[in-house]
Amino acid sequence: MDRKELTEKLKEIIKPYAANTEAHENLTEETDFIKDLNINSANLVDIVLDIEEKFDVVIDNADMERMLDVKTAIEIIETKLAAK
Amino acid sequence: MIGNDIVDLAQSRLQSKWSRKGLIEKLFTTEEQYFIKKHYNPEIMVWLLWTMKEAAYKIYNRQTKIREFSPKKLICDLNSLSDIHAFGTVFCLENIYYTKSIISSENIHSIATNNLENLNHVIEVEKKDIIKDNHGIPYLQTSTMTLKEVSISNHGRFEKVVTYK
Repeated sequence: MDRKELTEKLKEIIKPYAANTEAHENLTEETDFIKDLNINSANLVDIVLDIEEKFDVVIDNADMERMLDVKTAIEIIETKLAAK
Repeated sequence: MIGNDIVDLAQSRLQSKWSRKGLIEKLFTTEEQYFIKKHYNPEIMVWLLWTMKEAAYKIYNRQTKIREFSPKKLICDLNSLSDIHAFGTVFCLENIYYTKSIISSENIHSIATNNLENLNHVIEVEKKDIIKDNHGIPYLQTSTMTLKEVSISNHGRFEKVVTYK
């Protein structure tokens, strides 16, 4: 899976939680989940669980801590997929 | 320092499925999971502990400027609990925060301070004359042009702005 494909898949996962739909529509790697997309912090865990399910990976606490923006999320998923 | 967090229970029912498989384990420590399990209304305990963590995190973020999603690093303990009130402590690394929560059928509101005595000096104010620094941390501009610490939380139908007396 290339980075573009991965970003699209992540964008789809994030969609139901993004209060700012316009920012979601224009999502880039620099997009911040809370500051830009106005995602409720309680839903960050749903994004982590969705990523685990959709990509069949395990996200530990140390990775979850950093998962506040698109770029970091992609990097974590890439690392997990490469380790499979 | 001061932090606060509110959960609108009607909104959380629409937004979050707290009973989702694996969710509790990602957010709560083993002891907190036990609090949730043994409480007669687990939903209330989930959001009580969550608002305590969020309120404490706001202070941690002010102190360290660190942004992270680390709910299990914020470890809650309950010192007293009734149907309408809770007093607790949240530990985060070497930091200790003290919390006071108000529970109703509509919402759960927790405030946190890093000094136990200051917990009694917290008041709610109107949302006006708020400015933010470059870390996004809010302050209340007073009539004498000094800055007071303030914490803002909104969720669903509710918004709370708290500061010191």
